[in-house]
Amino acid sequence: MSGMESDPVLALSDFSLRFAPGKNLVDGVGFEVRAGETLCIVGESGCGKSVTALALMGLLPVPPADIVSGTALFEGRDLFRLSEAELSDLRGNRISMIFQEPMTSLNPAFTVGDQLTETVRRHRRLPAAEASAVALDMLKKVRIPAPEKRMTDYPHQMSGGMRQRVMIAMALANAPKLLIADEPTTALDVTIQAQILQLIAQLQEETGTAVIMITHDLGVVAEVADHVAVMYAGHVVEAGPVEAIFDDPQHPYTIGLMGAMPSLGRRSGKLATIRGTVPPIERMPDACRFMPRCPFAQNKCAEAVPPLAPVGDGVHRAACWYAPLEKHFAEVA
Amino acid sequence: MKDARPIIETVGLVKQFGGRRQLLSRSPVVHAVNDVSLRVRDGETFAIVGESGCGKSTLGRLLIRLLDPTGGDVIYKGRNLASLSATEMRRLRRELQIVFQDPFASLNPRMSVADIVGEPIWLHETAGKKERREKVLDIFRTVGLRPDMADRFPHEFSGGQRQRIGIARALAGEPKLILGDEPVSALDVSIQAQIVNLLEELKERLDLTLIIVAHDLAVIRHMSDRVAVMYLGEVVELAETDDLFETPLHPYSQALLDAIPVPSPRARSAQAPVRGDVPSPTNPPKACRFHTRCPHAQPICSEVRPVLERADEGGRQVACHFWREIQAAGSSARAPIAASANFETRLALYRARQSGGAAPLKQP
Ligand SMILES: Nc1ncnc2c1ncn2[C@@H]1O[C@H](COP(=O)(O)OP(=O)(O)O)[C@@H](O)[C@H]1O
Ligand SMILES: Nc1ncnc2c1ncn2[C@@H]1O[C@H](COP(=O)(O)OP(=O)(O)O)[C@@H](O)[C@H]1O
Ligand code: SF4
Ligand code: SF4
Ligand SMILES: [Mg+2]
Ligand SMILES: [Mg+2]
Repeated sequence: MSGMESDPVLALSDFSLRFAPGKNLVDGVGFEVRAGETLCIVGESGCGKSVTALALMGLLPVPPADIVSGTALFEGRDLFRLSEAELSDLRGNRISMIFQEPMTSLNPAFTVGDQLTETVRRHRRLPAAEASAVALDMLKKVRIPAPEKRMTDYPHQMSGGMRQRVMIAMALANAPKLLIADEPTTALDVTIQAQILQLIAQLQEETGTAVIMITHDLGVVAEVADHVAVMYAGHVVEAGPVEAIFDDPQHPYTIGLMGAMPSLGRRSGKLATIRGTVPPIERMPDACRFMPRCPFAQNKCAEAVPPLAPVGDGVHRAACWYAPLEKHFAEVA
Repeated sequence: MKDARPIIETVGLVKQFGGRRQLLSRSPVVHAVNDVSLRVRDGETFAIVGESGCGKSTLGRLLIRLLDPTGGDVIYKGRNLASLSATEMRRLRRELQIVFQDPFASLNPRMSVADIVGEPIWLHETAGKKERREKVLDIFRTVGLRPDMADRFPHEFSGGQRQRIGIARALAGEPKLILGDEPVSALDVSIQAQIVNLLEELKERLDLTLIIVAHDLAVIRHMSDRVAVMYLGEVVELAETDDLFETPLHPYSQALLDAIPVPSPRARSAQAPVRGDVPSPTNPPKACRFHTRCPHAQPICSEVRPVLERADEGGRQVACHFWREIQAAGSSARAPIAASANFETRLALYRARQSGGAAPLKQP
């Protein structure tokens, strides 16, 4: 909006991806994230959150993946146009990623200390002793008790929460500009989740790292996001500042999702549901992809894709022909 | 008021795993459930919550006798389950059913879902083939599955549909009580809501008692009448759901509730989350098992085990030496934030449209 805002660390636009000829699995997705900010991408399983993240990291094998369109501007370069050598130079250095299951990025055969030290050495030409000191420092930063002792532990000797801390230490060891966290707390208990979310927030405050947090949990979104992109079936259907999304949800999918979540207050009747399920990609509608499940659908919704258009103040956008709903549909008696 | 007659009662229930002699040593003993005495009321939804590894599933399975206790008793409708003969127990089996997190993890992928659902009927009744089929299709309709899908195989169903099949299978035994062990944990929110609503409808319609084991506290708040909070094999608090969520008394209950991310950006938690992980149940901390993580711990907490004591005139119970002092010092759960007017208006439109008819398109 205003000239006050810094340039985005990452600007993704018009990103489309498919795994087979036919409809795009991810279709025309765009978002931005700025230094020190957290963008949450929220949506149910299969909507394309992880494949988008992996594509940004250059970790999606092409083929079978086919990036149909899109630019991903990061530090003046388009991530989709970089060579594998350039990408591997960025990964774990300028951009890092953490996953739901830490064991996907930890090697069970090496100690935690060795793996951290190796991560530091790969990108900074430091003597072994110095790299090891940085590694130990990182374990302290992620508040692992008795870090000296833990350096010699193997990943399987640690609890799920501790492994996730180690992965965060590895991801942040080289002070990246951008951290992509793909459901980092989904497999953890709420207590440990709270610890990990707080840790990420604290480290982010110290380093100014931009964070893209992928989650299916609106509670996590409310807890950590500055900005939110709601995804449904490969489309961003609503995006905006976190307060706008929660106070003024516009897209029927966002409203259904929020209504389906049990509240923590006293019970207020039955949960809302979203009828049916996401159709397979071959049977995906051509226009509004939410149409088969949307209680507001009209003929127009089958004819043209609703654009992600400004609602309210303009930063907040929704992709629905009938937003705001109360303007188009008669109030309930 | 609900009928307060217990359907299940436990007395000093203990379950340990391991401790078997190995080549040179003994495997370590896991103290999964330790001295649990509680009553589940007939017709209620009773929840068991706590972090993973705290013994929730083990306790649930002890209650319906899928596991035999190491010590203590389970009394079902006034009869001690340990005293039943094998035949009597087999007959009881159908009254006490279980729904798993993933009902297909343990099922034969080569059986049609009709056979899967019909299996308990076949086991327990001498019904003819046609009768059985009729009954299976009836149950299909009850749980919202299309009868014409009965001859398909498990892999042809989505996660939500599979959970409906799991529920159908439990219903086939005409149960009195269903234990749901994380019945919606693996599902997306919108599908989760469908299954939660289904379980509630069935409970009303069929007069069931539900025991729900879950780590998602929002689901628990929505569904249950009473909650038992478990920590390392012990029940540390037992309360009516609203009481627990509005004024948790035990420091562990408070820690659990504080950790839930509240779905409102204005209610961000300022508090430091509870420290550390759950210690190993092979070597649980002495006396109060929570003392290694408790912000209120005093020397006595590692010396004397706090008993589960009455905390009010109703049936509320708590096991902490200092719950009165902690409560007097003023600690309660975060107040829920009211939903915005815009959201309420649009959700009302959404519900009205979904149920058909209401909220028509305005003419331009
Ligand atoms: N390698 C692949 N080949 C074909 N389809 C894939 C592949 N990876 C993911 N998909 C499909 O892409 C869709 C989006 O997946 P994903 O990004 O993992 O969803 P999310 O992270 O939002 O749950 C899913 O339908 C999934 O089946
Ligand atoms: N069959 C078993 N053999 C050995 N240990 C078990 C067995 N079942 C559960 N346990 C152990 O008992 C403890 C409690 O487990 P469980 O009841 O599954 O906890 P929860 O359901 O709360 O996650 C855990 O430490 C678990 O590893
Ligand atoms: S465009 Fe139409 S079908 Fe799509 S969300 Fe809006 S009302 Fe529903
Ligand atoms: S008995 Fe002591 S350690 Fe245990 S919960 Fe109470 S105050 Fe905390
Ligand atoms: Mg994913
Ligand atoms: Mg369990």
